Amino acid sequence: MEQSPTTRRIDGWRWSGRLFLTFLLGFTVMPMAWMFITSLKTGFAAMQYPPQWWPAEPTLENYWRLIDPSSSVGQDFLHYFWNSMWVSTLTTVLAVAVAVPAAYAFSRFRFPGRNFLFFAVLLRNMFPAVVFLVPLFILMKVLGLVNTHGSLVLTYLTFGLPLAIWLLKGFYDNIPIQLEQAARIDGATRFQAFFLIVMPLSTPGIIATSIYSFIGAWNEYIYAYTFLTKHDQMTLPVGIQRFFSENATDWPGLMAATFLMSVPVVVLFLVLQRYFVRALTEGAVKH
Amino acid sequence: MAEVVLKDVVKSYGSIYAVNHVSLKVEDGEFVALVGPSGCGKTTTLNLVAGLIPLTRGEIWIGDREVSGLDPKDRDIAMVFQNYALYPNKSVYKNLAFPLQMRRLGRAEIDSKVQAAAKVLDITHLLERKPRELSGGQQQRVALGRALVRDPRAFLMDEPLSNLDAKLRVQMRSEIKRFHQDMKATVIYVTHDQLEAVTMADKMAVMNGGFLQQYDSPANVFANPVNMFVASFIGSPAMSLIPLEAGSDGGTTVLRSPEGWSFALDGRNAAKVAKAKGKRVVLGARHSTVRLLPNAEPGTVPGKVYTVEPTGDVTFAQVFVSGALVNVSLPPTYAIRPDETVNVLFDQARMHLFDGETEMALTA
Repeated sequence: MEQSPTTRRIDGWRWSGRLFLTFLLGFTVMPMAWMFITSLKTGFAAMQYPPQWWPAEPTLENYWRLIDPSSSVGQDFLHYFWNSMWVSTLTTVLAVAVAVPAAYAFSRFRFPGRNFLFFAVLLRNMFPAVVFLVPLFILMKVLGLVNTHGSLVLTYLTFGLPLAIWLLKGFYDNIPIQLEQAARIDGATRFQAFFLIVMPLSTPGIIATSIYSFIGAWNEYIYAYTFLTKHDQMTLPVGIQRFFSENATDWPGLMAATFLMSVPVVVLFLVLQRYFVRALTEGAVKH
Repeated sequence: MAEVVLKDVVKSYGSIYAVNHVSLKVEDGEFVALVGPSGCGKTTTLNLVAGLIPLTRGEIWIGDREVSGLDPKDRDIAMVFQNYALYPNKSVYKNLAFPLQMRRLGRAEIDSKVQAAAKVLDITHLLERKPRELSGGQQQRVALGRALVRDPRAFLMDEPLSNLDAKLRVQMRSEIKRFHQDMKATVIYVTHDQLEAVTMADKMAVMNGGFLQQYDSPANVFANPVNMFVASFIGSPAMSLIPLEAGSDGGTTVLRSPEGWSFALDGRNAAKVAKAKGKRVVLGARHSTVRLLPNAEPGTVPGKVYTVEPTGDVTFAQVFVSGALVNVSLPPTYAIRPDETVNVLFDQARMHLFDGETEMALTA
């Protein structure tokens, strides 16, 4: 059969689309690849010009140094890593603990001020995060929370919770209320109906919400930089600044640290990405 | 099984009354259909019996216990939902076992009850499947199985057949009816389909606007509808209602049309009309009680054919009589065309008369 002009035109679009996506892929992958390559270089090789695309003598020395608790760099790095892990995990656990009941209530119950409250929850997300920097700093100071991890957890919750509630509400909206009603008639209390029937069905939503909260907290820089001044409190994004110094910057060390910092996020995402994608498309089509 | 009694039950949302002073008694082992158009309060009534929504006023009794304030789990009832509400992440076996687990039965006892219920419903081969792997009819059976597995005091069913295709619906209709007979179960069955109600129920409760309109056997509701709403809701095609005016012509009572014609009523119908509050009377006629005659005779009234719908063994015609559409069933051989003028004869023994003011049936 002869090809119609329409098909040819669509083919043209398809190829230009592929070309564009290839370009985009290179654009996003290159920095990460360069980060990894640099982390394998010696300090000298990293400064060479023209640059080596692949180090002549690749070394894992930079990594060993970071995870070696006996070196001072390793000590600091592991400490920052632990601080980040602790702050992000606590943020995530608290966000889910609050967002689950809140989202469920917004989804299931009709109460006075429901719409207003839901709007109020989302209102926070309409402003850039930096707008709240100074007010929150003053607030933390008054509360005596400056230089504590509590200040960060509280701040990250104010950013993460609205999104978490909104995401989870979408999940609960899609679980038919009759399932809970059936469970209650079958002999479950309200709480049992929630924990035995609704919770398992919303697990993908809870997982996706956890990833969002965790990544948000893990990557946050400006608040951590402002609220924490003591070295032993610092989280990774702030802490890795110690690789910059007045005279020289340890590029390979910095890149190795950055690479290690992105590992937990990438692993989380790869393992749980199907939930992640489901959360974003949930409610898009009728099941 | 047990009887279910509603005493003056009210459910209001602010100033809106979803259920308005409904009282009815479902005898032990009886199949009662709550029937009415969307928004008539039938599902709300069922949810009140189930305890899924709180009662505003009134009492609900199941057996010898008042359950008005009890949680659904303490009412010892089972419910089948329109969308079946099977637990999607549990196998059929676990769906059936759930109500028993909630009652903390032993594993062996649960297993024997699940197997017995599965056997009754012929779903033993499906026990390991997930609900999404089942057809609509199979899901329906599992939903029934989950209801009967623990031998409740009453079954509540909320439009359980409306998600099935037409053929399966007829089949499941007879299966549910058979199930009711075998179990001698007390069943309250909500449907908007009057045919389901008429074919399955021992008694039907016709609701409209939150009010219970009539509560009687399907035969009685069909033969003696208490008001114009029930008359037009029950029966298919619907009963035709023609607004007329009562008058008298030389001593005999007649019904007169604004179009000018009139026809004489027999003695019993004249007595009914005498009870009307005003002159306005509505004549109700079911399709099978109306005849079309070739020539004008005493008692016939003029009409004009609007549509003709052959269905195979019966032809339905709609005829304009005094501005109202009247359904008539005719033998398929009857020659009739749209816009034709016809002579309509109402069967005096089987006609219904309603008070035009109150819309209530007139009785002799």
